[in-house]
Amino acid sequence: MDRKDRRPDLSVLDPGRADPGYWGRRRTAVLAAAASELAARREWARSSVTAVLSAWSRRLIPAALATAAAAAALVLWETRVGSDAGADAFAPPLALEDLLIDESGDGYSWAGQGAAASPVAFMAFVEGQGR
Amino acid sequence: MKKRTDAELVEQAKRGDREAFGELVRRYQGAAYAVALGVTGHHEDAEDAVQDAFVTALQRLEGCRNPAKFAGWLLAIVRNTARNAVRRETLRAAEPIPAETAATQRGPEAEAELSELRRDLASALAKLPSVQREVVLLYDLEGWKHDEIAERLGVPAGTVRSHLHFARKTLRAELAKWKDR
Repeated sequence: MDRKDRRPDLSVLDPGRADPGYWGRRRTAVLAAAASELAARREWARSSVTAVLSAWSRRLIPAALATAAAAAALVLWETRVGSDAGADAFAPPLALEDLLIDESGDGYSWAGQGAAASPVAFMAFVEGQGR
Repeated sequence: MKKRTDAELVEQAKRGDREAFGELVRRYQGAAYAVALGVTGHHEDAEDAVQDAFVTALQRLEGCRNPAKFAGWLLAIVRNTARNAVRRETLRAAEPIPAETAATQRGPEAEAELSELRRDLASALAKLPSVQREVVLLYDLEGWKHDEIAERLGVPAGTVRSHLHFARKTLRAELAKWKDR
């Protein structure tokens, strides 16, 4: 080191030089002065966590309940349908084929109208059967 | 155990962690004292300013935008707190250096000499520009490195070296009478 720039001894200004417990006491004093702020921060942090969980549960629990209710209703409905295996339960919709077969089951009633029948005549027949 | 960073300690202190805040105090109370002493020139006022500054820093912790640079942010608060104390002219008429730091084992003559040295040193420091005073106290009293001071005061390292050089030069001139004792 440059001799001209040698370090001046400032250690006499250090309060801890002759009093080893000085800095520990100062730290304790600062913590005592900050105690109320630290306590307020702890309380704030605790209430913040509670508030977040509370807000979260306020939304989540109703949504979960609604989902559970819907799922339960679906399961009940499927159970009921499954046990009620009658023909009415699964009645197929009316098809064109049904219109072409007369109620006696004797065959295609339209077929008996003759091959010369026109599309217009066919539609009139279908509409007549539907009434 | 891994040493916690300033940023980690700041985040924990924000949640009211007493131990984390206490560690920040332990790390920086010496530097804070050096800065406050440089502004006030009196031990007791520096002590009060440091305590007030730490409490203020805790209250404003959310304002520390870069917790990794907590030290520089804290020292700015210390500087302002100490300056406000001086401005309000609330400084107590006190000995520059605390009586309790004087070792009682020394004889009365040694005590008187030490007290005189402290007075002269305080007087010499008071003649320095504030930035030089702060740099020389952080370096020679608190033991910080050039880079640490540069980062925490927000000035280039070369500027820190320059301030240190001129501060020492002034102090040596002011304290020349102690050279041969």
